[in-house]
This record gives sequence, C-alpha cells and structure tokens, in this order.
Amino acid sequence: MAYQLYRNTTLGNSLQESLDELIQRSSLRGCVTFTFSQSQQITPQLALQVLLQFDKAINSALAQRVRNRVNFRGSLNTYRFCDNVWTFVLNDVEFREVTELIKVDKVKIVACDGKNTGSNTTE
Amino acid sequence: MEEETYLELYLDQRAAQDDLIRPRSPLPSSIVPFDVFMPNSSTPETAFSSLLEEVEEASGDFSSVDLSFLSDELTQENKDPAVARSKREIEESCKTPRQPLPSEQDAGPDLNSRLSNSHSHLHPGDADSVQPSLEKSTFLPLASITPMTPMTSVSECSGTVPQLQNVVSTANLACKLDLKKIALQARNAEYNPKRFAAVIMRIREPRTTALIFSSGKIVCTGARSEEQSRLAARKFARVIQKLGFPARFLDFKIQNLVGSCDVRFPIRLEGLVLTHQQFCSYEPELFPGLIYRMVNPRVVLLIFVSGKVVLTGAKERSEIYEAFKNIYPILKNFEKA
Repeated sequence: MAYQLYRNTTLGNSLQESLDELIQRSSLRGCVTFTFSQSQQITPQLALQVLLQFDKAINSALAQRVRNRVNFRGSLNTYRFCDNVWTFVLNDVEFREVTELIKVDKVKIVACDGKNTGSNTTE
Repeated sequence: MEEETYLELYLDQRAAQDDLIRPRSPLPSSIVPFDVFMPNSSTPETAFSSLLEEVEEASGDFSSVDLSFLSDELTQENKDPAVARSKREIEESCKTPRQPLPSEQDAGPDLNSRLSNSHSHLHPGDADSVQPSLEKSTFLPLASITPMTPMTSVSECSGTVPQLQNVVSTANLACKLDLKKIALQARNAEYNPKRFAAVIMRIREPRTTALIFSSGKIVCTGARSEEQSRLAARKFARVIQKLGFPARFLDFKIQNLVGSCDVRFPIRLEGLVLTHQQFCSYEPELFPGLIYRMVNPRVVLLIFVSGKVVLTGAKERSEIYEAFKNIYPILKNFEKA
C-alpha cells in the first residue's frame, strides 16, 4: 500500500479535480448532447481505483526515475512528529540546485518514512 | 563592638532555623583530614569554634541568609537574589572565614601567615570594601581562637564557584492527557509511542525540553537555573491547558542539578584514586574522568585531568557549592607539578 502522501500535490490535486468532474458529468447524464464525446460511467469506485493507481505510480516514479538532488536551508519555525509523519514549517528557505536557486518565505514539509531513500514532498 | 552584634545576629538566625543545623560531625566522612588543622587547645575555644563550624555547615540554605550587614555593593544584586546571595556567601566565607578572624592578629604566627595568604587570594574590588570594616573591630574575647572554617583553611579556597548547567524537575498536571491529540495540535512536539510513551515537547524561552506523559506528569530538562526550570514547567502546563485539558500545576520538584567549574590546575587522578579509593572509580580506558562519589553531601563529581570538574546529583544548589568546597582542598593536594 503506497503512501497517499502525493494526492495533495499539484499533480495529485489536478487528478482528483478531473475525476470529480467526470463523476459529476456522468451523474448529470440525462442531456442527449453529452452521450457521445464525454465519459461513460465514472463511478466513484472507479475514481478511487484511479487514485490508488496514481499513488503507486507516483511513488515508484519518484523512487526510481528521479535522480537529481536539491539542497535546502532555512530556519525551523515548528516541527511535529506523530503517526510516523514529520511536519516541518521552515522560514526564509533557499532551495539550491546546481542550476538554480529559489528563495521562499515559508515552506511546509510533510515527510513519511522512506524504504531505502527518503520520500519527501514539499507543499 | 559592632562585630559582636553582627555575629550574634547572624548566629541567632542560624539557631532559629532548626532544620538547617545538622548534627555536627567533626569532619565529613569523605574528607581526609587536611594538613592544616585547627589547634583546639582550650575548651571555650573549642566550643565556640565548634559552634561556628556548625554554623558554617548549617548554612546550607543560602537564600534565607540576611547579608544586610555587608556593604551595599555586595548586597546589590542584578540577578536572582538567592543565587547571587548564596554565591556571595561562598565567596565571603572563602575570603573571611567569619568576621572576627581578621581581628585575631595576635593569634599566632601560622594564623597570621594564613591570613596574609588569604588576603592575597582575595578578589579585588568587592571584598576590599568589606575587609576594612571588619578589621576595625576589637572584638576578641577568645584571643587565640582557632580559624572558623571547618577543616579547610582560607587560603585553600578557590576563587571560582560552580556554574549550574542543567536543572531537571518534575511536576504533576493532575489530569489524564490524550498524547495523540497533544502531538497533533501542539507545536514542536514529537510522539512515537512505539519508541517512548510520552510526548517530547520543546519551548524556546527558557530553552527547555519536557517529557509529557499520559498520566499528566511531566519532566522538564535543560533549564539553567531552578527558577527557569519552574517557569518552563509552568509554560508547558499552560500549553497543555490551552489545548483544552484541565491542567493544574502541582508538586513541582527539582530532581537534579548539574554544575561545572574549573580549578585551573591539572590534577593527578591516579594519586587521587589511590588515596580515596572508597569514593573514586577511575577507568581511563573507559572514560577519561574520575568519578568521585561524595557521601556528604551526596553528590557525584566527574574530575578530569585538565582540572575541570562536573558536579551532579544534587537536589539543592547549596549541595553543589558544598561539594565543590569539600573537593577543592583534596584536588589541590593532587595538583600536578
């Protein structure tokens, strides 16, 4: 069971919104115009399956296909550790990659336990 | 005759605090009788000096000592009054064993030389203003009175006072706590029930860490003074209160004080362990410091070759000071080169 950590990312949120839209459309079906080009039966169950597949896909992609390294440095405002999930809020953070530098006033980091390498996401 | 009045006042205060006057033992069992001893020739002298020794030993709780008889510059504190007062007390007792001593100029040649040694040891500034006022008295009923510092002569006093590094305390919030809720809602909290059954919370001012248990009891560590520890524990209680628990603040107790200081000379640890083997344990291959378990007060000291000393296990600040006072002459005896 892969972490559902990545559902609240830009990619994950877009997917969720799209699925919700499809569910809405399929439940609105009564208008003749919509029957051809639009979705057939998107059941909520199917949407859930899509999201689960998304979880698996994104976890494996980040673990296997992402090789670059980013360093970041800032001051710690708060931290929390509960249910094996770390949540940090940093201030005045600099994200540094070889190619570029990004400065941010506030960043929230939610981190779950990795298997071999760490799996992190920033929001 | 001012000295007499001051001394009597001081002694009265000491006598009034019955719980402080412990049954007097001639020497703490952990201290080897020091070379510089008190010639206890005549009975009245012995009685008087023994009373004053008792006073010396009984002055454990420095916070209640009234030092108003000292000049103003010494009584002006800008820090925690009890702390500064107790420090002053230590330093004063080092410089002038008790008030009448400087006036015993004719008490004998070795006393005189010790006095002059002590004066040369004195810190400039503060003590000087006190010395003249004490020396001018003519109070001398026991002309050949023995020095009043028990076992240790004035010249053996160090100039330094141990600094507190850590205070561990406990308190009871008197209500059951939902640790998961605390960990999820409070800031700067860690909770890993698989590893440890408490929430570990930190605050920035005073910089401290607390272990918060579901029973409502908390352990507060990292403070630099007793007052800071109490304040920090109260702040943790307030955090818990703000989360909605009916927290109170009961049974605050200091459990451990850690202090450190520097005697400023290297020490022959091997020699020390040979003579004090019943108190020392020294395994240089395991740990470079000698572990001295003092019996009275019950304090453990880590003594290092460099001359740095760590004192721990005390429940009161005075125990730390007393332990250092006890160990200093011993360490001086084993000074290297």
